[in-house]
Amino acid sequence: MPIFGKASEAEVTRAILAGFTKDLGEYASTEVIIVGGGPSGLTAARELALNGVKNVVIERNNYIGGGFWIGGYLMNTVTLRAPAQKYLDEIGCPYKKYSENLYVTPGPHACSKLIAAAMDAGAKIQNMTSFEDIVLREKNRVAGVVINWTPVQALPHEITCVDPIGLECELVIDSTGHDAYVIQALEKRGLAKRIGEGGMWIEKSEDAVVEHTGMAYPGVIVAGMAVCSTYGLPRMGPTFGAMLLSGKRAAEVALKELGRTPKKRSK
Amino acid sequence: MARAKAHPRRKPAISEEDPNWDVPRIAYLYRDPSSSTLRVNVIATYLGEVVGLRCEVRDEFFVHHGRADPEGLARAIAATRVRHIQRPFEAVEPLYGEVQFELRLLEEPAKRVPGILYDAYRYMALMAGLLPAGERSLQVLHIAFPHRLLGTFDEDGRYHARSVVCGYPSMVSTSGIIEAPAKPEAYYRVKARLSIALGSVPFEAAKEPFKGRFIDYDDQRLTEVAKGYALQAAMYHVTKEAFCDDPTCRLFNAHWQAELIRAQIASGRLCARHRAMAARIRERAGSPRPSSSG
Repeated sequence: MPIFGKASEAEVTRAILAGFTKDLGEYASTEVIIVGGGPSGLTAARELALNGVKNVVIERNNYIGGGFWIGGYLMNTVTLRAPAQKYLDEIGCPYKKYSENLYVTPGPHACSKLIAAAMDAGAKIQNMTSFEDIVLREKNRVAGVVINWTPVQALPHEITCVDPIGLECELVIDSTGHDAYVIQALEKRGLAKRIGEGGMWIEKSEDAVVEHTGMAYPGVIVAGMAVCSTYGLPRMGPTFGAMLLSGKRAAEVALKELGRTPKKRSK
Repeated sequence: MARAKAHPRRKPAISEEDPNWDVPRIAYLYRDPSSSTLRVNVIATYLGEVVGLRCEVRDEFFVHHGRADPEGLARAIAATRVRHIQRPFEAVEPLYGEVQFELRLLEEPAKRVPGILYDAYRYMALMAGLLPAGERSLQVLHIAFPHRLLGTFDEDGRYHARSVVCGYPSMVSTSGIIEAPAKPEAYYRVKARLSIALGSVPFEAAKEPFKGRFIDYDDQRLTEVAKGYALQAAMYHVTKEAFCDDPTCRLFNAHWQAELIRAQIASGRLCARHRAMAARIRERAGSPRPSSSG
């Protein structure tokens, strides 16, 4: 007796197609589009979803999680400074105290928990999808993003005439890391500019990243390491606490912009 | 204006000094609500004792002087940010998010967010511009205790954070006291080693072996240290002479935390020359001799 039930190739194809087109159709117009599926983007996605905000994460890679899989020097222990460990409690990820205010956890565990937590909350993820451009509306407000399949970028020039598609939204969160791609797209049009990352490495820089998370341009919230390059804040290395709290702050700002009251959550 | 690096100059004898002195009739000291351990009223008492100044403690500088146009002020503060520490100051229109950030800090002055360097002289000019005409004279001394980190661009082609910037108004940066003078050299080695091992900067762990050897955030010694810097600002206002070469004098320009602790905590006194000058200032200010000599 076969282990698996019967399903034809055509049926499998139709199932993939139906699932994908349903999701894409739904998210062609959404409340928030999060560009970049690293720790800050995923945290923002989870927080928004928990508050009933329809959102989708655009991720250019096949894998989600950005740099959260590994810590410094390719070693897969990630560190978080207090109080960011509380967020690990929220998503059910174990960790150990390394020293006063410093906590460690295996990167793969933390990252996979965060991905699952975002999706469990209702966030959608569109991976292998590259951000190409922004959609502008009246008064140059950002009202969406233009996307394409990531592999298109890798195709030879003669066959890259694959037109992108557009998604509409009320807010875009730029959580694309050091590149700050959404801000770059605005910069190309002369609508915004990045200061670039600062060279100083002083204590409490993480606070500065969280505190600068917010509206960077009408319709665009900047989060995570994109905050550093947008505002020229000190480089920090892989300090993930700031990424999680920055994502949380981005969601709070988005809720405020959308005129929504944050839901109370049991601890 | 004087900042951390003093230019060598001939030290005049006390008798030739005072004709050009400006002894203020009042000193206004501005609180830093973000520092839990900074007691500005204690500093005011100290200045009264050492140089005989009548001091009045006020709310945080921008709370006191900058209520009229918070958004304009936030924009002006954001415009003083240093963009590149290895280039002279470049005037740049601040970003929307930077203005919003400064606006939040103005709304919540108890919030402390280091990590950003501001050009000290432009910041000072901005503050000077907020002073009412009646208070903008050498008859009035203003010493603010901003929590923002202030820096000056120096001859070596880069910005340096500063603990104190003497001018008008003078500023004693409460984050500068912590960040500007260097910590023990071994601290940076431990920090670098742990940073590589852990992938982030474990400030608390790196600081642990050196506890007490530098002034830290919310350090109980902050007020004592700030007393010395406020005295530097006050004496500079009067004499226009910056800093002292004696490492045990409170007017010594410390480049290391160890020097700072030696001058401000271990010694906690002025050198003989500056004690004599302080006494002359006190006489000019018309105050009786203090109970302690500073």
